[in-house]
Amino acid sequence: MTDWTPPQTDAAVTAPPTAPIGTVDPPPAMVEVAGVTKSFGDVVAVSDVSFRVDAGVTALLGPNGAGKSTLFRVMCGLTPPSQGTVRVLGRDARRDREVRSRIGLAPQQDGLFDRVSALQFVDIAAQTLGVADHDAAARSALDQVALSADDPKPVGSFSKGMRQRVKLAAALVHDPDVLILDEPLTGLDPVQRNRMISFFHELGDAGKCLLVSSHVLDEVARLGSRVLVIAQGRLAATGDYRALRDLMDDRPHRIRVAADRARELAAALVDRSLVDGVSVRPYELVVDTTDVDRFGRSIAVTARELGVRLHEVEPLDDDLESVFRYLVERR
Amino acid sequence: MSGGSVAPGRAMALTYGLVVRQLVTRGRLFALAAVGVVMVVVAAAVGASDADGDPVERGVRLISDLGFTALVPIVALVFAAASLGDMREDGTLVYLWLRPMDRWPVVVGAWAAAVTVSLPLTVIPLLVSSIVVDAGGALVGATLLAAVVGMLVYSALFVLVGLLVKNAIVWGLAYVLLWEGLVAGFGTFAARLAIRGYTRSIITDRTGIDLDLGDLSLAAGVTVPLIVAVVAIAVSSIRLQSMEVA
Repeated sequence: MTDWTPPQTDAAVTAPPTAPIGTVDPPPAMVEVAGVTKSFGDVVAVSDVSFRVDAGVTALLGPNGAGKSTLFRVMCGLTPPSQGTVRVLGRDARRDREVRSRIGLAPQQDGLFDRVSALQFVDIAAQTLGVADHDAAARSALDQVALSADDPKPVGSFSKGMRQRVKLAAALVHDPDVLILDEPLTGLDPVQRNRMISFFHELGDAGKCLLVSSHVLDEVARLGSRVLVIAQGRLAATGDYRALRDLMDDRPHRIRVAADRARELAAALVDRSLVDGVSVRPYELVVDTTDVDRFGRSIAVTARELGVRLHEVEPLDDDLESVFRYLVERR
Repeated sequence: MSGGSVAPGRAMALTYGLVVRQLVTRGRLFALAAVGVVMVVVAAAVGASDADGDPVERGVRLISDLGFTALVPIVALVFAAASLGDMREDGTLVYLWLRPMDRWPVVVGAWAAAVTVSLPLTVIPLLVSSIVVDAGGALVGATLLAAVVGMLVYSALFVLVGLLVKNAIVWGLAYVLLWEGLVAGFGTFAARLAIRGYTRSIITDRTGIDLDLGDLSLAAGVTVPLIVAVVAIAVSSIRLQSMEVA
């Protein structure tokens, strides 16, 4: 697992602390997962996962089937861990019913009470969560996700995006301290996504702890810098996404260079040890380099010395996808 | 504005309202009401016939065989198994599970909802049938009591089945048709595990017409099913707490 020190300016994802002898224990994190394994028969869905999360938005990144939803279900107490412990606000949601009123879950599955309206659905959520002014809370929650409280249509007739927002409203209606949102942006259009992402950050800035899963890497990059990467049931990395990228500079970066006399330029780059590998095509070369800064400083100089005209220099792996692929393949 | 604990009575009422709303679909109502109509038509035909034999016994056997072998258990199965079982299957149970509520009020609310929806669909056609079959007032009273007792206990059992297994309808039908319809006739022990034996005992006691499996007292015919219902609800509550929710 790749761990790194998170930014010190705000709450963050951390690996479980090991307190030196003679020191006091750190205060409990809002969400604390310790050595959690979850098996279904012979299938290990989550394997020895540990992390702590406090206020702010934390993205849980992983491909479909990586164990994200299972981990969320364990955190909410919907299924017990086979090994390990989970504490939300210091409590076990499976045993402690009080803490359930402080958790908001938007599950991944699409099932809703299809025969009721959005207002009725969210109002039922508010009432079952013990919200005193449930009607006002339901209307406010629907407003937060840009749905009309006066729409009488049953949620069974709603589009995927509208159903997704109904689930979000139901998760928000009691103003919970911890929000666990399983693929909440699925089905939303780009405008709604941006709006929701901004809203998530507002909640995080207000001291709420948000765990947001996604398998869409572009979403995670926008959700925030704090990332838990889960792959094949294991935590592949935790921490700040940009810091993770910085720490990963030892990996080969792949860059496409469009130039005339590409073969001549490639030879020069190899001679000067600026690249670890290169493949040449007509008017184009793709290089692998572990020292991307030095390569960036030298490519233009080298081309000028050779009289080669550069048309384009383009990183091919400068996105979260490449980070994820690297982490998974490295395991 | 954070939420808080939900009192058992409130949890029960909320679950009840929600489950009733989910259970009442046009398809279910029409299909099961049609079964009741068939029952009334057959009873009317039997009542109007001038066949040989005791008309009271003929009427009692009709009500017992059609009403308490098929109508009551099947209507109970359709609604009770779906009350929490459908939520378990489609993933909406999470909206009742991850709540600051005890489990038993949720089960009681779901059970009460299933009974509420099922009772009119069984009691009305059974009462009408017991009247048109023209077998006397005792049968009408016995039918009413046995239908209510049967509905309470079948519903409790099938709520539990819905929480325990997928395809609860199949398992419920297997119990009704194979166990109650076949195995229960093979011995006393098996008969005691068949709800039908208790509802038949009520009818036998009130009408004086001997029915297979109906050899228990009225007290046993009423109290044992009610105890079974309470136990089934308790087990359902434990199951709801311990189950893995999707």
